[in-house]
Amino acid sequence: MRNKNSKFFLIMLIPTFISVILLTYIPISKGLIMAFQNYNLYDLSNIHFIGFKNFQEVFSDTSFNFLQILLNTFLWVIGSLFFQFVLGFVLALLMTKPFKGRGLYSGLVFYPWALSAFAIGLIWAWMFNGQFGIINDILKKIGLIHQNIGFLSDPKYALLSVIIANIWCGIPFFAIMLLAALQSVPSEIYEAAEIDGAGYFKRLFHITIPYIKPTIINTTLLRTIWIMNSPEIIYAMTSGGPANSTNILATQMISKIYNFYDYGQSSAIGVMIMGILIVYTIIYLKITSLKEFSL
Amino acid sequence: MKIIGKFLKFIALMMFLILALVPLYWVIITSLKNSKEIYTFPIKYLPELISFESYRKLFAFTNFAIYFKNSLTVALIASFGALLISMFSGYAISRYSFKFKKYILLSLFFTQMIPIFMVMVPLYEMFSKVRMLDKLITLIILYTNMMIPFSTIMAKAFFDRIPVSLEEAAEIDGCSKQQALFKIVLPLTLPGLAAIFSFSFINTWNELFLAVMFINSDAKMTIPVALNSFVSKMGVGWELMSAGIVIALLPTIIVFAFAQRYIVSGLTEGVIKG
Repeated sequence: MRNKNSKFFLIMLIPTFISVILLTYIPISKGLIMAFQNYNLYDLSNIHFIGFKNFQEVFSDTSFNFLQILLNTFLWVIGSLFFQFVLGFVLALLMTKPFKGRGLYSGLVFYPWALSAFAIGLIWAWMFNGQFGIINDILKKIGLIHQNIGFLSDPKYALLSVIIANIWCGIPFFAIMLLAALQSVPSEIYEAAEIDGAGYFKRLFHITIPYIKPTIINTTLLRTIWIMNSPEIIYAMTSGGPANSTNILATQMISKIYNFYDYGQSSAIGVMIMGILIVYTIIYLKITSLKEFSL
Repeated sequence: MKIIGKFLKFIALMMFLILALVPLYWVIITSLKNSKEIYTFPIKYLPELISFESYRKLFAFTNFAIYFKNSLTVALIASFGALLISMFSGYAISRYSFKFKKYILLSLFFTQMIPIFMVMVPLYEMFSKVRMLDKLITLIILYTNMMIPFSTIMAKAFFDRIPVSLEEAAEIDGCSKQQALFKIVLPLTLPGLAAIFSFSFINTWNELFLAVMFINSDAKMTIPVALNSFVSKMGVGWELMSAGIVIALLPTIIVFAFAQRYIVSGLTEGVIKG
């Protein structure tokens, strides 16, 4: 009987196994190998192992300052994540208690979650346009600036601009997730705290946040991985420019493939992204669960 | 005090609403202006007269109807395929306890960390060997595979929440394992399956980079590939681009509007507690 059952279950797993192994794990193995090879479209007859040379060349690239790319990546991930989380959390808190029209309201504020990041990037590029963009126009109307700013053409503002677009893109994800978690907090806990005279912020930090902590940890982890690996918005708005100012690891991978046809160097950057994410995930889960033990 | 608090809350909710709607409003308004009105000052926040010129041009001068059909075909078939496959694997992982269960889930989660450009070139070579470049079926296969890991993780979490005792009772009543799955379990997970399908549809409809890599000919382009080609094409102004973007956004907004409840419960219960 047991044997028959296990066969039934194994058969159900086969399509997933075949697909993921054939179309993800075999290609990623090849990709890992490519990171250590001279692998250029212009030089396909000359594919051979070159050790860590791809990594060295990425580090010492004169036309793309690698330290700046790392710093941009850091700011892109942390800046986007922080504001997506905080604003998403505030929105979720505002929506926890029912109000008239909450269903419709949630549809109207959550819809960006379903939009293509590439299309969002294009829309924000148009809004940030240095000549005809509404953001310049609005800022001038309320007197914050007197002359148009080239948000996407000025290296001083470009990174900030793409991060703002990315924040907009990610608020609904956090709001959706955290709202569901907030609604699962039993109201008796609050009632007890209210009797004890705990104010709103005290309740928030001592009851609500600890209670929904697993959701916070899971969503921020998942989101970090996605932000790190999603170059669509930057690709649509600036393609990493001007002057490398919005270039992150993921867009540099694209540039290595689209502009230089250097698959070896592109894969080397991919290896770095995966390495960073694996180390980050391990450390993040260690720290967060350790804290949980100490609570 | 209470009234002031309520008022502040209302203001905050309104600000989030405006923030969420402005970009959509602006792209729609831009698409409804005529080309002269877009590049003149002062900037008009309401078009003087609504013009569908951009949409007419979009469908007259580009094959946008074909791109739309391609996108729809690819997204629908791939989402359905991913749902079918991940439904079974999610069920198996949920119900059958085996040694490597943890590692299978981990290997599925790990696929989320892989930068798409890392597997792109090996995949390209693979499909070029079997002469399957520039074909919609190739995109369907790639997208199905792209959605399987996350869908499986979601499906597993849904099945976890259905008590095994239900199936055991059905089996005592003479149902086979298969019958128990199809007659008892699947109907109960229907909202979850709807969530998985919608999630896949949104992601595959929006996918850009694989499609750009694998599709060359105009007749096979999906909408993101077409928009990408507009960026570098001379003479495509923002009015035409905006019309294209609006059409690109519509299907996912519609899917989200109808499936919002399922998607929200699917994402939250499926992934977070899973």
